[in-house]
Amino acid sequence: GLAILRTNLKWPNLIFTLFHFETLTFFVLCLSLPENGQQMKAVVQWFMRVSELPVNKLKLLGREPHPQEIFYYECRNCDNEVNVESILRPVKVKHLDSNDPFPDSSDKDTLYVKLSWDSKVFGVVNSTVMESPAEGPSRRVLPTPDHAIMQKASLGEVGCSSVGTPANVEAESLHSATKLSASKCLSAKRRNATARTPGVRKRLELSSECSHKDFKMQPLCRTREQQGFLYISNTKNHHFLTVSLLFLQISPGTPKTPRHATPSIPIRSLQTQQPANILEEARARLHVSSVPESLPCREQEFQDIYSFVESKIIDNTGGCMYISGVPGTGKTATVHEVIRCLQHAADMDEIPSFHFIEINGMKMTDPHQAYVQILQKLTGQKATPDHAAVLLEKRFSNLAPRKETIVMLVDELDLLWTRKQNVMYNLFDWPTRRHARLVVLTIANTMDLPERIMINRVASRLGLTRMSFQPYSFKQLQEIIMSRLNKLKAFEEDALQLVSRKVAALSGDARRCLDICRRATEICEHSAADPSSTGLVGMSHVMEALNEMFSSAYITAIRCASTQEQLFLRAAIAEFRRLGLEEATFQQVFVQHQALCRIEGLRPIGVSEGLAVCQRLGACRLLLLEPSHLGVLQHIRLNVSQDDIFYALKAD
Amino acid sequence: IIKSRPGARCEFQWPSSVAPGHCVCRHLLELLRRTAIHGESNSVLIVGPRGAGKTMLLQCVLRDLQKEEKVQKNLLQVHLSGLLQTDDRTALKEITRQLHLENVVGDKVFGSFAENLAFLLEALKKGNRSSSCPVLFVLDEFDLFAHHKNQTLLYNLFDVSQSAQAPIAVVGVTCRLDVLELLEKRVKSRFSHRQIHLLSSLNFTQYLERVWTQLSLPDSFPDKKFAQEWNAGVKTLCEDKSVEEVLQRHFNSSKDFRSLHMLLMLCLSRVSVAKPTIKPADLLEASRMCFADATANMLHGLSILELCLVIAIKHLNDVYEGEPFNLQMVHNEFKKFLHRKSNSMYNFEQPVVMKAFEHLQQLELIRPVDGSSAKVQREYQLMRLTLDHSQIMDALQKYPQCPTDVKQWAMSAFG
Repeated sequence: GLAILRTNLKWPNLIFTLFHFETLTFFVLCLSLPENGQQMKAVVQWFMRVSELPVNKLKLLGREPHPQEIFYYECRNCDNEVNVESILRPVKVKHLDSNDPFPDSSDKDTLYVKLSWDSKVFGVVNSTVMESPAEGPSRRVLPTPDHAIMQKASLGEVGCSSVGTPANVEAESLHSATKLSASKCLSAKRRNATARTPGVRKRLELSSECSHKDFKMQPLCRTREQQGFLYISNTKNHHFLTVSLLFLQISPGTPKTPRHATPSIPIRSLQTQQPANILEEARARLHVSSVPESLPCREQEFQDIYSFVESKIIDNTGGCMYISGVPGTGKTATVHEVIRCLQHAADMDEIPSFHFIEINGMKMTDPHQAYVQILQKLTGQKATPDHAAVLLEKRFSNLAPRKETIVMLVDELDLLWTRKQNVMYNLFDWPTRRHARLVVLTIANTMDLPERIMINRVASRLGLTRMSFQPYSFKQLQEIIMSRLNKLKAFEEDALQLVSRKVAALSGDARRCLDICRRATEICEHSAADPSSTGLVGMSHVMEALNEMFSSAYITAIRCASTQEQLFLRAAIAEFRRLGLEEATFQQVFVQHQALCRIEGLRPIGVSEGLAVCQRLGACRLLLLEPSHLGVLQHIRLNVSQDDIFYALKAD
Repeated sequence: IIKSRPGARCEFQWPSSVAPGHCVCRHLLELLRRTAIHGESNSVLIVGPRGAGKTMLLQCVLRDLQKEEKVQKNLLQVHLSGLLQTDDRTALKEITRQLHLENVVGDKVFGSFAENLAFLLEALKKGNRSSSCPVLFVLDEFDLFAHHKNQTLLYNLFDVSQSAQAPIAVVGVTCRLDVLELLEKRVKSRFSHRQIHLLSSLNFTQYLERVWTQLSLPDSFPDKKFAQEWNAGVKTLCEDKSVEEVLQRHFNSSKDFRSLHMLLMLCLSRVSVAKPTIKPADLLEASRMCFADATANMLHGLSILELCLVIAIKHLNDVYEGEPFNLQMVHNEFKKFLHRKSNSMYNFEQPVVMKAFEHLQQLELIRPVDGSSAKVQREYQLMRLTLDHSQIMDALQKYPQCPTDVKQWAMSAFG
């Protein structure tokens, strides 16, 4: 937005102020300044700059806009009160007739108004609008303040003297008016300086600190809509850094202001390095995150989902589909692929366009947040869960023209379970509405989820369109790796087969498979110094990676334990055998431990030390313990099999 | 000399001599460097028993990493601990704070939990491999994060690390060997299954070497003469037979370096200007303090009546094989003892005995049996002894001026 601070003076020599808002500058015409100390608001008139107009509307202008041209903004519903504190500095604005040429001026602080803009069309500015001064105490003569202070005041906190209105070029009467407005600015500033709340100041420092450090936070300016805080920072002028605070009520009519904070991780300062050799290249391609061009081995599932969604879109109906499968079998990836293809088809006008949204049960804190996220993704509105549910209900049950089909992906469906199951109920009920045109694709891990956790009315609405993704077979896993590597020769054939067979036997999780391959390339790289190596990832590397990931560390942990810890484990087994149970109290085990110490020729340890040994074993979960405050009375169980312990201790 | 007292030297240095440590170090360093330089997302768990140097390993790696200029400006770090961030709500706030994203959220720095999560995920999703700054998440006491509701935080962190979003590296540090079993299967699937096991297989000679390197002063020490004398002193100390015995005992008990440092600190604190070397006696004394039995020590502070009650309980335990007891039973046992001594001076009223019994309970030398309701009269509430018999006998030997008849009663096989 742009608002221009207008004094109560005659056109065209008005005093204007600019807001710098990141790279945008806002102009206001101030209609009246506050009279008493309580009120900190200035009534303003907003102006638009060329860059703020919608690009497609610029055609209406019929000519090239002048860079210093601004447009009188006629909008009823925008708030015309701003905080005086946010006023930055004055500019000159000249009103020109719509046929007059723009004067050739290099003065950047002079702006020209020719036309008005009411968010739809341009209009001629009625100069009387501009000239009509605000009623009130405008003509009262105030004592002239010192010129320097006055200028400083009118410049706000900017503290820059390079810009501003040279008072002497203006007509005498206007000159005094300048002073008038400036003096008001001054008094407002003073008041502000004292009345500013600590909270405000803190925020001010916070943001100024940010800019001083040149912190690479992408969006320096943020708005919070409800309360309308704007951080304003002038990044254009290098010799000073201003940070000013603007309390703006952002109403719907206000010209473009960033509506949502766009959070992001800072930009990295150095370029990422590109993969330098084959192994690095292979590793980059094998990372789970790298999106393959096509998904091999899921052609059938892809086809089924595609035709399901496509038919619903073409028929303008709705429907539900339930997709199940163990983690890492490509459920979400396949759905995304389907949507990508459909989107492509829609772009080619082969099918009607649709809107895709995605929610994930794990990415929300509470099942009812699903409503909030759906609403926000559909309309950009923010609402409480209850309110969002009402709005969505209305949206899906009402007939509305030009509504496109909505395809919704609900990932990790089981997390949306509530006791009354109303979230699930609604999700599956909406597609059945006549005018909803909603396609819901749900994903979860368990195949029998509808039978297990859903009550009848929910399960019935979900329908019988089910699909289950089988774990990948070893051939499929091999194909997946091959297609990712895309003829890059980094692996030996046998090595790939070993990985895929091993993973297929264990879980059929493609993620696991890719991770093992990635680790194997690292191991290969480390052993590259070995002259016998071929530079390819071989069996030995894959074996090592598999061992690292799948072997249990219990045996090594027992071998690496201290003598007393090993003795304690043996004592526990001895005591279990004696009792014929799998559980004993510390006291009982300790007696055995003392005896074992004597047999081994070690000095028996005290109870405290014994407890410490026991706690250490409990901390790494070789033993399962009761809470430690029970002392010698706590019960002990083993978390490893007795055979493992014997095996580990015998091998010494 | 007091100022340069090597007490401060008990800081840990990653033992470059220990071979597995070396390899593990390189693995982790490579992994994090790739995240920083190539923008490759990774996740890894460091598992090892307490005091094995997991955090130290990570710190060493990070220190080395920071030395590289390419990495220095390119890596944001977020450190979380399962003991501090006890639920996802606080964890998210902490992440937002450490990433300096809080001024973005506006004045209401921390909105609701749901907003926070959406906000953070949005921030991470916005990024991509080539342009965003990599973020390193260090989750100390990783196993505690697995107890958070739905494991939302872990799911999302691992999910980001496996998808084309801002590059992150998740490093979990834990002492639980079964940590993977704690993860839900969809969380587990997203974890890369890289585990670094930090298990020290060092033997006693290496342990002795460590003691020596820990205690000796470096060549860079300003007072050369003192350093020479000190190092010579340490050498003779390490060769001493009794010292070796003490250290062997500690080594047998635990290979944990932290407990070793505790022992050495206790020795070092006895060094002064007047006595600028460590004597074997200091080590013996320190070792005695380390191994001291806390609960047995508590028995030394009991009154004779309380001690008598403890002995009565011990006899009851012998007779009934550890069955729980109540005050009445204990008092009866005590009275039997008094009965044998006709001229006893320990004839106490019931309320006095009860007070003594309650005091024992407050010291947690005895504790009520679980599930016994509070309705039961205090005299009849069932209790168990939380002491081992050997502790009682030890304490009696050391109890100052213990009456002989009480001692004999304790020793006797029958009540």
